[in-house]
Amino acid sequence: MKILEVSNLTMRFGGLTAVDSLNLSIEQGEILALIGPNGAGKSTAFNCIAGVYAPTDGKIEFNGEVINRKKPWDLCKMGLARTFQIVKPFASKSVLYNVMVGAFATTDKKDEAEERALAVLKTLHFEHRKDSRSGNLTIADRKRLEIARALATRPRLLLLDEVMAGLRPSEVDEMVEVIQLLRSTGVTIFVIEHIMRAIMALSDRIVVIQFGKKIAEGTPKEIASNENVIKAYLGDEYGAA
Amino acid sequence: MTGKDAVREPLKSEVNRMDNIDDSEALRNRIRKVSLLLIAVVAFGLPLVMRSPTYLHIVILIYFYAYLTTSWNMVGGFAGVLPLGHAVFIGAGAYTSTVLFLQYGISPWIGMLIGGLIATLIGLLIGLPTFKMRGAYFALATIAFAEGVRVMVENIEFLGPFQLNGPRGLQIPPLDIGFANFMFANKEPYYYIILIMLILVIGLTWFISQSKLGYYLNAGGEEPEAAMALGVNVSRAKLIAMAMSSFLTALAGTFYAQFSMFIHPKSIISLDLSFEIAFIALIGGRGSIAGPILGALLLRPVSDFSRIYFGDVFPGLHLVIFGVVLILVMIYQPRGIQEPLTRIYDRIVDRLVEKYRKGVA
Amino acid sequence: MLFILEDAINGILMGSIYGLTALGLTIIFGVLKVINFAHGSLLMVGMYVAYWTVTLTGIHPYLALVIVIPAMYLFGYYLQDIVIKPIFKAEKDVREPITVIIVTTGVWYILDNMTLLFFGPQYRSIDDNPLRGKMVEIGEIMISLPKLWGFAAAIITAGAIYYFFQSTRMGRAIRATSLDRDAASLSGINQYKIYNIAFGIGTAVAGIAGVTLVPFYNTFPTVGVLFDIKGFIIVVLGGLGSIPGAIIGGMIIGLIESVGPQFMAATWTEAIVYGLFLVVLFVKPSGLFGVKYDW
Repeated sequence: MKILEVSNLTMRFGGLTAVDSLNLSIEQGEILALIGPNGAGKSTAFNCIAGVYAPTDGKIEFNGEVINRKKPWDLCKMGLARTFQIVKPFASKSVLYNVMVGAFATTDKKDEAEERALAVLKTLHFEHRKDSRSGNLTIADRKRLEIARALATRPRLLLLDEVMAGLRPSEVDEMVEVIQLLRSTGVTIFVIEHIMRAIMALSDRIVVIQFGKKIAEGTPKEIASNENVIKAYLGDEYGAA
Repeated sequence: MTGKDAVREPLKSEVNRMDNIDDSEALRNRIRKVSLLLIAVVAFGLPLVMRSPTYLHIVILIYFYAYLTTSWNMVGGFAGVLPLGHAVFIGAGAYTSTVLFLQYGISPWIGMLIGGLIATLIGLLIGLPTFKMRGAYFALATIAFAEGVRVMVENIEFLGPFQLNGPRGLQIPPLDIGFANFMFANKEPYYYIILIMLILVIGLTWFISQSKLGYYLNAGGEEPEAAMALGVNVSRAKLIAMAMSSFLTALAGTFYAQFSMFIHPKSIISLDLSFEIAFIALIGGRGSIAGPILGALLLRPVSDFSRIYFGDVFPGLHLVIFGVVLILVMIYQPRGIQEPLTRIYDRIVDRLVEKYRKGVA
Repeated sequence: MLFILEDAINGILMGSIYGLTALGLTIIFGVLKVINFAHGSLLMVGMYVAYWTVTLTGIHPYLALVIVIPAMYLFGYYLQDIVIKPIFKAEKDVREPITVIIVTTGVWYILDNMTLLFFGPQYRSIDDNPLRGKMVEIGEIMISLPKLWGFAAAIITAGAIYYFFQSTRMGRAIRATSLDRDAASLSGINQYKIYNIAFGIGTAVAGIAGVTLVPFYNTFPTVGVLFDIKGFIIVVLGGLGSIPGAIIGGMIIGLIESVGPQFMAATWTEAIVYGLFLVVLFVKPSGLFGVKYDW
């Protein structure tokens, strides 16, 4: 069952067409990666799905419902959560407080929110940091907090925006494990990523776009040997870890 | 290709520390409750000890300002915006209850509530378009509204059937003294009324800070984009906070009208008053519960004294002092003076906890 | 009918002076992305500087510009450097630099009340000046001479500022910084110096506005407050950061203020100005000429 269906998504900013008739879909429970060279339009497509931009054309369906002009908070209530590439923790507050904000999306009571937040932190092996001031965390921990917060909203689909950016190789491996753990809890995951090693290890399927258009789609193996993809990345170093 | 110890289990020492912290927490809570109880006893008992009406008057005004700054804090602190025209709500409350009382004989207690509703409408009117925009627009809108209303009230005698009396203001003749008419011969009843109002407003603020709304307001104020992605309708949360703040501020307006028996636009809808409230809350520390109250407790006496002693020779000196203190605080202690004061309090409590545990162990 | 035309013209002229106030505000906003709440007080300071210059030397008010412009520029430059820059640095990554607004409000208060302290609350005016009360006759219409001078000053200043930002090296550096300060600093531009300069320019423009007012408007410590608020309203109306918007917005306000009383009580006119502000906020917050900023 297709949890997300993007049909002919087009996004124009004035004279610039950032995304051009993009088609993609995600099955429940799978991990789909969207990759492409810099400036390909990945972030724009991502933000259209996340409710930040209203698409110029095309249709985005989540669980069968059209979500084109919906606001981010409504999307969250529907079960679509996202993280930010440049992490935005509520810096003056503790990790637990941060996650509780997410947990309040599922309940009105503080004790329940606290319980659920602690459960999420436990799932991500993060509960020992629950009282740390989130502004003081390392970048890897902040990324983990970002995911924990989004996870607390009990999403059905989680959009991860370059969550590996800025991490060391060992931290990338940790993050891959975290995301695999997420999938095992039943969440469908949509990632944008540059770090090839993570993409290859994580994804069930990969969609490649360039200049706003889809140029390839398939399993990691298929993509790695796809001539168009290699041409698009010609000059880029493989495995930017 | 997975890393070793990919996800770290908490260390044993960290687990031990967590247990010890729980014990201290309980002790800290006990100490806090006892201190609050002591403060309450002192506050309620004060009029029995302090008989001079002049001093009572000063303390009443301190509570009055603490009430105003705490109400202001709901929007200015929790919601993270900068309201600079809050006096308009004071005016709304004061004029509504006074006009209804003088012209129609309606009890000021009822007028108080109606004034609160009118203030809420004004607050929503200001907030609706501006909460989606940059904070500066909201600040501007509050100033524009406050000044606009003041100018209007100053220049019209009658608003429809209601007599506003323009710049001369309205005076409440001291007849029919009694609770029903919110009029008393001595200061004591006023003291207890404003004290109870203050306690209620503090309680409400604390309650909100522990609730979903409080979390949402904090999140929306700190990182609106992230908050929105987590399900927070930031504008709506701010509007709710604004509605509450305006309502509560208006109640204080009625109190003031009944306390001083005379209101006029220049005193009650003045930009000076709006700014003073904001400045005190900011210096005290907006966003915290203790901050605005500490601010009022420390700064109001400064304001009063400088006005009494310097008022003739150096008019406006206390405002210069406020301005300078404000800027210094913003540069060096942007979270307000409650931060260092809280740290001192924490250190004292820590030492008490240490002593107790050493004594027990 | 003729009265209305006369009122309209005088109103537009006065409005251009309002526009000057808004111009300084919009420069500071355009570059620093900060709304300078102290602007009215800067105008007031400019008026006092002009007043004392004329009173002590007896020269023509507009000649006082020679002193006012550099004095105000330096005042604004160092005000930004000493008081506002530390906050800026502390709030570099914050999306909404509210603390800067708070600080400029504090400056407003300090300036107004220190002036009250040192010069007293009395209204001052330069009685013996060549512009006061003079009228120019065009056909049957009487036009206020000081306001005409003010209009000229406003147009010339706006033009000069526009030229400065479009065509001079420094002006372009300032615009670059306002668009993307990190990129600009990578090009070797010292962003904090730019801010100081921009603030200085904005303050100098406020000084010019002060000079245009001094011949016919009373000078007193809180004179800035009214102009401050009107300045904000104009800037919102005309669009934050827009030079023509500031002047034209000012003229609209001036027009409403002068023609309004023909049709309704003067106080309702003031209320209309405030009401217009709220309407613009509701309907088109980016103003008539403004650019849509990313909120």
